[in-house]
Amino acid sequence: MIEVQHLSKRYGRVTAVDDISFKVERGEILGFLGPNGAGKTTTMRVLTGYIPATEGKAIVAGFDIFEQPIEAKRRTGYLPETPPLYPDTSVIDYLGFVARIKGVPAGERRQRIRQVMERTRIDDVGGRLCGKLSKGYRQRVGLAQAILHNPDVLILDEPTAGLDPKQIIETRQLIKELAGSHTIILSTHILPEVSQTCQRVVIINKGKVVAVDTPDNLTARLRGSETMYVQVDANGADASSALGRVPGVTRVAEAERKDHCVSYEVDSERGRDVRRDLARTIVNSGWGLLELRPMRMSLEDIFLSLTTDETPAPATDGDAPAEAAPAESAES
Amino acid sequence: MSNILAIAQKELKGYFAGPIAYISIGFWALMYGWFFNALLQFFVRQSMQMNQFGMQGPQAMNVNQQLIRPLIQNVTVLILFVMPMVTMRTYSEEKRSGTIELLLTSPLTDFQIIVGKFIGAMALYLVMLAVTLIHIGVLFIYGNPEWKPIVTAYIGLILMGGCFISVGLFISSLTKNQIIAGMVTFGTFLMLWVITWIGSFSGPTIDKLTQYVSIIDHLDDFGKGVLDTTHIIYYLSFITFGLFLTAKAVDSERWRG
Ligand SMILES: Nc1ncnc2c1ncn2[C@@H]1O[C@H](COP(=O)(O)OP(=O)(O)O)[C@@H](O)[C@H]1O
Ligand SMILES: [Mg+2]
Repeated sequence: MIEVQHLSKRYGRVTAVDDISFKVERGEILGFLGPNGAGKTTTMRVLTGYIPATEGKAIVAGFDIFEQPIEAKRRTGYLPETPPLYPDTSVIDYLGFVARIKGVPAGERRQRIRQVMERTRIDDVGGRLCGKLSKGYRQRVGLAQAILHNPDVLILDEPTAGLDPKQIIETRQLIKELAGSHTIILSTHILPEVSQTCQRVVIINKGKVVAVDTPDNLTARLRGSETMYVQVDANGADASSALGRVPGVTRVAEAERKDHCVSYEVDSERGRDVRRDLARTIVNSGWGLLELRPMRMSLEDIFLSLTTDETPAPATDGDAPAEAAPAESAES
Repeated sequence: MSNILAIAQKELKGYFAGPIAYISIGFWALMYGWFFNALLQFFVRQSMQMNQFGMQGPQAMNVNQQLIRPLIQNVTVLILFVMPMVTMRTYSEEKRSGTIELLLTSPLTDFQIIVGKFIGAMALYLVMLAVTLIHIGVLFIYGNPEWKPIVTAYIGLILMGGCFISVGLFISSLTKNQIIAGMVTFGTFLMLWVITWIGSFSGPTIDKLTQYVSIIDHLDDFGKGVLDTTHIIYYLSFITFGLFLTAKAVDSERWRG
């Protein structure tokens, strides 16, 4: 549905997007993840035909965006970073105008606008001026504008930015509903968004694609070994050697010590659950087991490890530092 | 065509949704009324003096020559002030607020957007010109001016206004800031206007040149009731050139990002 080949965009001497390639299949939701300034907006602007690429090729909904821009645009809905609203226009009038320029046939406009307004839950603000809407409504009118002509491809630039948690959940839900009938690319710099909404993730940093995979695979791929976080009250005794003798455990490291309570990070062989044995060992030794939980490497850590050069410090809540491989180059 | 109309209607509605339409039409009507009044009083005084000297016949005061022609000339001054207000936001505001992203990612050509915006501004200008027809109507009630020079004068005004609009559109497409766009447009209009004077103070060759370049000089014949194709072609080419420059500016902006 969308095919990007060796796309680059330079602004003068700044390279905003550097030779990226990826594909999005029909009905898929692709997350475009990267820190601010990574080149997400630039890529989306190229895909929507707003700006031309410096190099490379992009096929959107079966049409080359540079060769047949009108055909490609006809089949694309776009929600820019800031919803493109006319402040002095009422929501209904605004959608009427958008329907016209997007080529919705005159006879279908009224009904289509009503449907879309219901779907994006803006039917109660139809008569209000766009400039007087709250951020949440603005974003939804922006979304309504993007899906109005029932495009094959939807490109959403940070669709949940600036919304409150309830609105974020609603928007994500809506986006998920839209998948299937639409092919969606959404960009975000927030990680949970990707794992909750997207089937596939493109991680982009400094204009380069650093990883393309499913959120689960990314998590798995970067997790070298299983790590447990164990907090023990051993009355001053050293529990590490006892823990290290548990079958399957490969390494025990002291993470923190507070009075009697000592926290350890316990690595084990991959795919082997050592929790029961750890617990038994501690209890049998007459110590207090205060906490025992797996430390999965979160998408957050993966993201950091892929997009920052320095190794991130372990988070205070005990999440493991990223021991990820150095940023891998793009696949596909 | 329907795309052009969609843009044009949106533009026109936009003028009336904000203060621009009311300010420009109001200012226009006020100033036009003032010019009209001043010229009319002058005209009446003059013709009364003429009557005292007992002048009659072809020497007598002519409404078209002595009233309507100078009035039309004064409209060019009004355009100088009002038109920058009309055109300054056409592109600037879309760029500032990001709505340009909607237009440029919709299945529209640049040509449709530019011509749509041009027609939208022209429509507002036509509304302003319509206001002035009221004054002209008054002349028809109390006097008997010739209608033909009036019609040609208005054709000239429409064409000349189109030239200013195309320049304003072009300047607006160069900046995000509508105030800057408005000021630069005013400055440019002033230059186009002043060229006429420079010409009349200089030698005959320069005078000829400036007369050709000056948008306003071309209006004179229209005011005399003459529909000369050279002037019409001049105005139409000027408008086309202005819109062409706008298209170039929009396109190069796209490449620069
Ligand atoms: N119009 C522009 N002119 C110059 N540089 C730009 C322009 N737009 C974006 N950039 C630069 O390109 C890089 C990528 O920006 P962007 O695509 O907006 O990133 P993101 O959306 O991922 O935050 C940034 O370094 C930014 O400064
Ligand atoms: Mg961005």
